Amino acid sequence: MTIVQPIQIQVAQGIFEAWDSLGVTDRAAKLEKALNAFAPSERNMAAWQIDNAKQSIADTLVLPGPTGERNELSNQGRGPFLCLSLLDGKQTKVGLVGQVFAALIAGNPVITVGPTGQDIMDLITPFVAEGVVQNIAESAQDSLIEANHLAGVAVICDAEQAQQLNQRLAAKGGLICQLIEETDADTLSTISKPHYLLRFVTERTISNNTTAIGGNATLLELGSMND
Amino acid sequence: MFKAIEVLQPNFIQRPLNELWQLISPLYKMDEDQWLKELLPLAKPTDSELVSQTNAASSLIAAVRKDDDSMSMIDALLLEYSLDTKEGILLMCLAEALMRVPDKDTADAFIKDRLSVADWASHAKNSDSFFVNASTWGLLLTGKIVTMDENKDGSPANLVNRMVNRVSEPVIRKAMNQAMKVMGHQFVLGRSIKEALSRGKSYRDKGYTYSFDMLGEAALTAADAQKYLTSYEQAVESVGKDTYSQKHRPTISIKLSALHPRYEVGCEERVMTELFDSVKGLIAKARALNVGITIDAEEADRLELSLHLFEKLYRDDVTKGWGLFGLVVQAYSKRALPVLVWLAALAKEHGDRIPVRLVKGAYWDSEIKLCQQRGIDGYPVYTRKESTDVSYLACAHFLLSEHTRANIFPQFASHNAHTIATINCIATQLGATTNEFEFQRLHGMGDALYNRLIKDSDICVRIYAPVGSHKDLLPYLVRRLLENGANSSFVHRLIDASYPIADLIDHPVTTLESRKSLSNPHINLPSNLFDDRKNSFGPNIEIDSDWTPFKAKIDAFMGQDTQWRFYPIVGGQQIKTGHTHAILSPYDHSESAGQLDWADAATVTKAIDLAEAAFPAWSARPAGERADCLDKMADLMEEHYAELIALCHREAGKTIQDSIDEVREAVDFCRYYAQQARSHFANATPYKNFLGQEKHAKLNGRGVFACISPWNFPLAIFTGQIAAALVVGNTVVAKPAEQTSLIACRAIELLHQAGVPGDVLHLVPGNGATVGAPLTSDKRIAGLAFTGSTGTAQLINRTLATRGVAPVPVIAETGGQNAMLVDSTSLPEQVVRDAVRSAFASAGQRCSALRVLFVQADIADRVIPMIKGAMQEQSVGLPYLHSTDVGPVIDKKAQAMLLEHIDRMTKEAKLIAQSELPSFADKGTYVAPTAFEISSIDQLTDEKFGPILHVVRYKARDLDKIIDTINNSGFGLTLGVHSRNETTCARIASRARVGNMYINRDQVGAVVGVQPFGGQGLSGTGPKAGGPHYLQRFAIEQDL
Repeated sequence: MTIVQPIQIQVAQGIFEAWDSLGVTDRAAKLEKALNAFAPSERNMAAWQIDNAKQSIADTLVLPGPTGERNELSNQGRGPFLCLSLLDGKQTKVGLVGQVFAALIAGNPVITVGPTGQDIMDLITPFVAEGVVQNIAESAQDSLIEANHLAGVAVICDAEQAQQLNQRLAAKGGLICQLIEETDADTLSTISKPHYLLRFVTERTISNNTTAIGGNATLLELGSMND
Repeated sequence: MFKAIEVLQPNFIQRPLNELWQLISPLYKMDEDQWLKELLPLAKPTDSELVSQTNAASSLIAAVRKDDDSMSMIDALLLEYSLDTKEGILLMCLAEALMRVPDKDTADAFIKDRLSVADWASHAKNSDSFFVNASTWGLLLTGKIVTMDENKDGSPANLVNRMVNRVSEPVIRKAMNQAMKVMGHQFVLGRSIKEALSRGKSYRDKGYTYSFDMLGEAALTAADAQKYLTSYEQAVESVGKDTYSQKHRPTISIKLSALHPRYEVGCEERVMTELFDSVKGLIAKARALNVGITIDAEEADRLELSLHLFEKLYRDDVTKGWGLFGLVVQAYSKRALPVLVWLAALAKEHGDRIPVRLVKGAYWDSEIKLCQQRGIDGYPVYTRKESTDVSYLACAHFLLSEHTRANIFPQFASHNAHTIATINCIATQLGATTNEFEFQRLHGMGDALYNRLIKDSDICVRIYAPVGSHKDLLPYLVRRLLENGANSSFVHRLIDASYPIADLIDHPVTTLESRKSLSNPHINLPSNLFDDRKNSFGPNIEIDSDWTPFKAKIDAFMGQDTQWRFYPIVGGQQIKTGHTHAILSPYDHSESAGQLDWADAATVTKAIDLAEAAFPAWSARPAGERADCLDKMADLMEEHYAELIALCHREAGKTIQDSIDEVREAVDFCRYYAQQARSHFANATPYKNFLGQEKHAKLNGRGVFACISPWNFPLAIFTGQIAAALVVGNTVVAKPAEQTSLIACRAIELLHQAGVPGDVLHLVPGNGATVGAPLTSDKRIAGLAFTGSTGTAQLINRTLATRGVAPVPVIAETGGQNAMLVDSTSLPEQVVRDAVRSAFASAGQRCSALRVLFVQADIADRVIPMIKGAMQEQSVGLPYLHSTDVGPVIDKKAQAMLLEHIDRMTKEAKLIAQSELPSFADKGTYVAPTAFEISSIDQLTDEKFGPILHVVRYKARDLDKIIDTINNSGFGLTLGVHSRNETTCARIASRARVGNMYINRDQVGAVVGVQPFGGQGLSGTGPKAGGPHYLQRFAIEQDL
């Protein structure tokens, strides 16, 4: 059976590599241009997510190890994320903005849902490449949730909705789709934590044998260093 | 440790040979300060000797600098392109690889990659050497061409057309290849012995003689070894027929690793028979033609093996009475002096003088790096250059002593004027005549120095000269040069007229004694590799003094009389369930490792009950206290190292090195997570939230964690998951793989002994149905750490999701379809070595193991036969033997699945090679390492977790398509890359969706805290085990 991917997933996958490879700094520069258009509380949330990313995931970490190899740990996006709220409330749009900016700054393309999602998308799309943020009608939401290659769902919902959604995502084949739920729609206690962002990234280690052609400059330097 | 100064007593070498042999191995990793204190008196001159040595060195340098016209081209090149400059390194990179690149596109891309990042203009006209200036102008021109902005400057070809008549990219490539040939011409004396003898005539006219070497890469296949043997035989014949009349005849130097594909301690039996026969034949030929043979030195691990082989050859009738069979000793080795003592005693006992070339050593940085990687608790080499110089002079003192030089003919190889002058002084002081020793230098280096020496004294100087095709030799020579060519090297400073002579004539003893410590404080011992935690220790199985006592401890657990008996461990108590299962050894099902009772659903529930009740108290304990338990656990595992290794052998079928690595990884996990917990979990972290409010977030445990681990890393992954969950503040119910539960039980015992309370940590062995299902369907499970197949991870995730409770963290590490990409700039020998290890080590039963090797079509016909040859050298056998490369697979189910895949591939693909199985293979579950050539990765459906490699040829222009194909598989665990082109590596890195990428090395053996491990997509959820973000996922972040 041929599985037809929703077009939004295809578009998101198409732009994913380019958006992800920009890195946090360049993505931040683009996303920050969109901030002014948001309401103050939403803007604060979006700016906070961007700043948090700059501090926690932007830099490539050089890890200690034997001389003669270079080991680096960096962060990448996971892939297309569906961001939505199943609840209404004063803070839910702020939370949704937080989800979208966390997902985007981490390197993921985002698909939002419904009119609120459309509002958010409209404010961001002038500053990012086409396809980085898309919006779908609520009626298309289910087909997205069921789609393969959806890396994760960030959702504001109640506990029961979280369980149901988790069950649906777990029932799918393919990669284990991340559910990043916020069940505290009033204070957004999950979205506003420093480690929330880490749920949107995947890490990558690169280990480079710098002595493959011979020579270990670091070691030679250490060997001839004066006390 | 013996008293070094005693070697100067003539009767020292009259001691029994065996007694002197015993002095060698213990010095392998001897405390450097302690041993140097012993050596210093042998090298230390008296005040008057110091004056005469200093004056001699000063005069020699001054004389050499006056003779600047005799500076060799390589000296001049190194002076201009010092290896501490970017240009110097880039030039060497080009020289190392360009000539072997067969296809134009890759060569052009490589040239562009190398030349576009350096400042060649700064070197223009700096040198007096025509060769160097010609190279500079060539590089400057090409560098500019390849760095042009096409939009601004037009295409390179157009610009070049304007600049030089019809020059274009092919011309650049041709010019660069020509430049490399010129460089090869300088490094290599001749492409054949005939040419070498012809080119060497002018030097022989000056009084030099030669030692020729066909050196190159180590042989990986029997065919390569035979090829090298033929070269050596031809060389011996040619030199034997040489009619040039001179006092000192040329000799041949041989590299043992080129003459046998498995010149390793683990293959000692083959070395002492097969390699012995090869070298014996060569000696017979050489003796008949009166051409001396010298065995070159190699890595420290092979020293004792080399000496065994040397002794056997030396004592053989073919050598008896000859006196021209010698070897090389490296002064940077702590064992150098006792080796020389033993050789002198051997010669004295046997009666034939042994020629010994004393060198400083050419693999220094490899030795240091290897020890750091393997966690050896010491180094075999000195960590300061001046310590090596001291050792050299101490050895020289012994060699030039009257009682030694009667038995050994010393050959001093050095390019250091101070060393040479000092050796001459010592010789005079000890009454050695110029007939009783000689000097040696490398072809192309030290011309000025030795030209002067040869003019001033009647001493034999032998030039060590590489012979062979530039394409084959240049990579090897450049690598050696890079290892030894730092700007601090004497060669460079000697010819740099701006460097004061006074700074070149410090006696190494004076320099070393002026240091605050004799060992180099900048080079930490492997145990201190990390600032914030102790590194795990590993014994060196290649070194007798390190391995033999360690092995004896393991052997105590290897007999069938040792049987482990375990039960589920709940609340700190072993629970007898009556569901008893025998654990059979995968290599021989007639042998058992012990028995185990499986848990049942009631036991699982009881474990969860207790774990739930224990959670509040455990999570309330300070993180530091929990971390202390892990540190204690690490120490306990090292205390019980031997038993754990025996369990790895007997229960999991792991080979010796795999077992050591297994324990080390478990130890590292404990220490790393302990350190991480102290840093991040002990206190709340202040932060400002999005409303600008000051907050404090604390990471706390979540509750009862289920840890489900695999059989392929039965101690490391098992312990790592549990350690992470516990240190965060969770309680744990652990289910090990049913195949490897004994070692898991032992680990739980040790964790309890380390201070983890019995009600906090529980072990419920069993299979998925009896234990996995009740465990993961319990509503109280607050999180899961799982390593295993993708399918099982999905199944467990579904079970957890259907419990009707809030979603919990699922940290899953799953399978891969791991690839390695190899382009034509790579070195085939490195590729094959790394591919074979990545695919077949641990019988391919590593998550990271290589499954699909993509080889650029242009070099596939070179690489694939080499893989075949290397596979024929793989030894499949009993995992507890040193000679075994590949052990059994885990069980019959795994074996059947792998054999079925081999059957399918045999019909659908082209068999490259299959390693031989041992005669007793039927007793266990063995699968022969097998390689197939396939047309595309699409021929494979899912991962086959075993020793099966698939090879795909690809066209250079299709590299991006290949990356797309790999990405489209959905898996993203490991990826290997072999390329000298950094632009290519960067491009692959930016595009490939994998968790762990390895460049120019093998792709297995990730180290905790150094190479955090874990995949993307179908290969896992992250975060990476052994990485800085792992623990956070086991915790909940709460505001205070």
